[in-house]
Amino acid sequence: MKRRIFWKIVLLFSLTSVALFASWALSTRPVQINILMPAPFAESTTDLVQQFNKDHHGRIQVQVTRGPLETEAVSDLAISSLLLGKSPFDALLIDVTWLPKYAAAGWLIPLDSLIDQQQIDSIVPGAMLGNHFDGKLYRWPLVADMGLLYWRTDLMSEPPRTPEELIKVSLKLQKEGRVANGYVWQGRQYEGLSCVFLEVLDGFGGQWLEPETDNVGLDSSASLKAASWLRELISSGASPKAVINYAENEALQAFKSGDVALMRNWPYAWGELQKPNSDVRGNVGVTTMVASAGNRSTSTLGSWGFSILKGSSNPQAAAKAIAFLTSTSAQKKLFLNDSYTPTKAELFKDPELLSKSQILPELAKALQSTDQRPSTPLYAQISDVLQRNLSSILTGQSSVSDAMANAQANTKKILMAARETK
Amino acid sequence: MNLVLQNVGRRFGRKWIVRHLDLEVGEGECLALLGPSGCGKSTTLRLIAGLDQPNEGSITIAGEDVTTVSPVDRRIGMVFQSYALFPHLTVFANLSLGLQVRGIAASERKQRVASVLALMQLEDLAERHPAELSGGQRQRVALARALLRDPLVYLLDEPMSNLDAQLREDLRPQLRHLILQGSQPVIYVTHDQHEAMAMAHRIAVMRDGKIEQIGTPQELYHNPLSLFVASFIGRPQINLLPAESGIIKAIRPEHLQLSSEGIPCRLVYREWLGTSQLLILESNRGRLRMLCASEITIPETIKLNWSPEKEHQFDASSGERC
Amino acid sequence: MIQLLLVPAALLIALVFGIPLLRYSWLSFHADSVLTGLVAIPNHGANWLRLLHDQRFWQDTYQTARFATVSVSLELLLAIAIALLLDQRWRGRGVVRAISLLPWALPTTVMALGWRWIFNTPYGPIEQFTELIGLQPLNILSNPNITWLATVVGDVWKTTPFAALILLAGLQTIPNDLYEAFHLEGGHPRAALFQITLPLLQPYLLLSLLFRLAQAFGVFDLIQVMTGGGPAGSTESLALYAYLNAMRFLDFGYSATVMISGFLLLVIACLIAWLIIKQTSHWREALK
Repeated sequence: MKRRIFWKIVLLFSLTSVALFASWALSTRPVQINILMPAPFAESTTDLVQQFNKDHHGRIQVQVTRGPLETEAVSDLAISSLLLGKSPFDALLIDVTWLPKYAAAGWLIPLDSLIDQQQIDSIVPGAMLGNHFDGKLYRWPLVADMGLLYWRTDLMSEPPRTPEELIKVSLKLQKEGRVANGYVWQGRQYEGLSCVFLEVLDGFGGQWLEPETDNVGLDSSASLKAASWLRELISSGASPKAVINYAENEALQAFKSGDVALMRNWPYAWGELQKPNSDVRGNVGVTTMVASAGNRSTSTLGSWGFSILKGSSNPQAAAKAIAFLTSTSAQKKLFLNDSYTPTKAELFKDPELLSKSQILPELAKALQSTDQRPSTPLYAQISDVLQRNLSSILTGQSSVSDAMANAQANTKKILMAARETK
Repeated sequence: MNLVLQNVGRRFGRKWIVRHLDLEVGEGECLALLGPSGCGKSTTLRLIAGLDQPNEGSITIAGEDVTTVSPVDRRIGMVFQSYALFPHLTVFANLSLGLQVRGIAASERKQRVASVLALMQLEDLAERHPAELSGGQRQRVALARALLRDPLVYLLDEPMSNLDAQLREDLRPQLRHLILQGSQPVIYVTHDQHEAMAMAHRIAVMRDGKIEQIGTPQELYHNPLSLFVASFIGRPQINLLPAESGIIKAIRPEHLQLSSEGIPCRLVYREWLGTSQLLILESNRGRLRMLCASEITIPETIKLNWSPEKEHQFDASSGERC
Repeated sequence: MIQLLLVPAALLIALVFGIPLLRYSWLSFHADSVLTGLVAIPNHGANWLRLLHDQRFWQDTYQTARFATVSVSLELLLAIAIALLLDQRWRGRGVVRAISLLPWALPTTVMALGWRWIFNTPYGPIEQFTELIGLQPLNILSNPNITWLATVVGDVWKTTPFAALILLAGLQTIPNDLYEAFHLEGGHPRAALFQITLPLLQPYLLLSLLFRLAQAFGVFDLIQVMTGGGPAGSTESLALYAYLNAMRFLDFGYSATVMISGFLLLVIACLIAWLIIKQTSHWREALK
């Protein structure tokens, strides 16, 4: 009898000690932070993540999930995981246009308590656009991205500054036989076309949508002018008809081959154009989009930033990782290695960066005149309507006035239906 | 109308399937090609039909050399072992398709098919599909199709092999009657010696791509020119005695007689066949088969003999008659 | 008793087809979007009413039907030709049989990227050729009237091997006897194609027709990668529209409505195809 009690005590003791040991081991295991990024970002941040994990050894372990190359596919992946309930991701690198949708769906946690005013002040004002929704901060910017006009310094002494000039110089250079094509841009029916349009629209003094008031400006005279001008680019021969199916990469390949005088693209193209296989290396200048007399030249803002997902087990740790990955020194590295445009204001005055990059001042200038695509959870629908109608104009399926009236009506319909649902 | 094969040979690669084949089938004559499977009888049939081309020799039908003529133009009435009826067509359509592709007008087609349907007693089945017919009915449709071809030669490839035994016996006279109505030569391929003897005027026994012997059923039965023919023709099989000084003696079971002198035997097994009985006997010359009237009572041990003129003698090494 | 053995399969089908179908039917009568906080709220058929008046839905329906009809017809014609060729005996047939399956084995996205490149203006091989012979660029992917034909080409290239494989299997069930009997009846080999081969191939034609119709009605990845639905929305399929509504617009109620109506259209299309084939054939007999 005594013996049995003895064994029971031994058993109890050993079980307790195993449990204690396990809980101790678990408590000292580092906090796992999983961040989903599009493939190119996952690659360029590899060293930084390694650095962070070394600095926080045993406490925080960041793991990057390499998402698909195509950015919308990254969103599909994230949304699928969020819809299934518990997402395996703590944080997500998201595009500026996804933010309102994600925030409205309740998938993000506000960062206001995690980030102080001083940090906010360190960001270039242009890069702070699109990080808020409903008055709350949901995203912390990593890379600024804005539409730029690339021009060939060997073909012209000054870039065109107005829509008329752009067509004129494109036609002139083709006529002289110096280039096969004038101006290439993103005319494919996809998000890039909305970005192209927004810049041109601003250049004619128009406005797409005011989310606060649901004011839609797609049938305004500025909108009609902007759409007509895009059509004229093709009909006049300033742009090849093929731009109707061009995305960023097609435009870049055309410009890189030296067949083209002007191109609309994002800052990443600069790095590509300086590579040894580029036929225009050293002959490229960068500026902002053309604008008609009396209007401001504008760049569409497209930026990437980190958001923390609602299911994250440790938002504080995630915020620490994000702070490191977006820090001044990290951004400096990313700019030098991968030409990622910084969002920290001080970097645009950094002598080292200025000495190494001739386009930094132009990027700074562009960042001061960025415009944001409408910040609404319905952005995807609204942009989709615009893309279809613009594509219809570019392909000659519809007249400018019909298509823009249609875009106006359908956009209003979407907003109205949304108000009813609410 | 006749059919002549001269020195016909067919090989696949280096192996000759048939070779040095000479045959002549006369007007209204039915010739059976008889042999075990793989002997080349089906190949011979396909060569005549034009479904296969000979590597050497010539084939003449009704006086015309058709060696290089396409099967489409040979006017062959063939009944396939499988009957090869078109499963997607009714009996009527099966029969009229050939007339249609040969460009015969619809009204005439209808009339000709109707008369053959009547002849073959198939009128009630005209709208059925092959899948809805019995084996015998299918055979009749296949025959009807061959008749409608208005052929120069009939080729029948094991037409009975898909039928049960009873049906075969029932159909034999009918088939024979139908085929022999016309003046066309008929080639009847079978592996069943009984069927060959019942159906054919003459039988060509084939072995390894060659004709072993050709003749009337009686000639083959009574005067086999080789050991192979002697064993292949006649059931129960002929008795072969062990070779003595290079000679094999063969005696048909019905020619064995009970006698006071002869080979001593012991009865092992007895099978009653109605009017006759089959006896299996053990002797010092091996196992013997004997066929005799069923009234005769057979004791345990007997002695057997035969009249010398009933005896066949074959060379033990070549198998040829001597 | 035998039926009892089918129970697991039936359950599995109910699980992977029945439940989603029911769930989407249910969802199509609810508002469930980013605006409702992703909570399903009954909206009394508002989705279906919206669908009736949704020009884009009808345009996509037309486009999907057009794409499926043309693409499946071409595929079957080509597949018959290829199957006939592969059914003949010739040297190297085995290798060609294997190679001809390659397009089918290739992931759709990969081959769609390939086609996008082939049709690219001005660097794709097609435009390079038109330039070489001195023609104006064709701008195949920029012309709403013809871009959809380029997607048909991509689809035909990709899925013809599948149909050809089914038809090849069908050809091999036709006994050679039938052809020989037909020749002896005086029918020429060319006539045999229409009198023997095609009628007996009908069950297999129907099978591949239904398979392919179902796939073509649900075409998504090919279009998404090759054209993204453009230009001017001319190549957008119903599946792409449903996807956009769900994953991009976060409007699951309406997406379910589009999906269910696409499913109903497919059922109708298959019924029509079945009736046409049944009318003109005796395929049931051939199956016996």
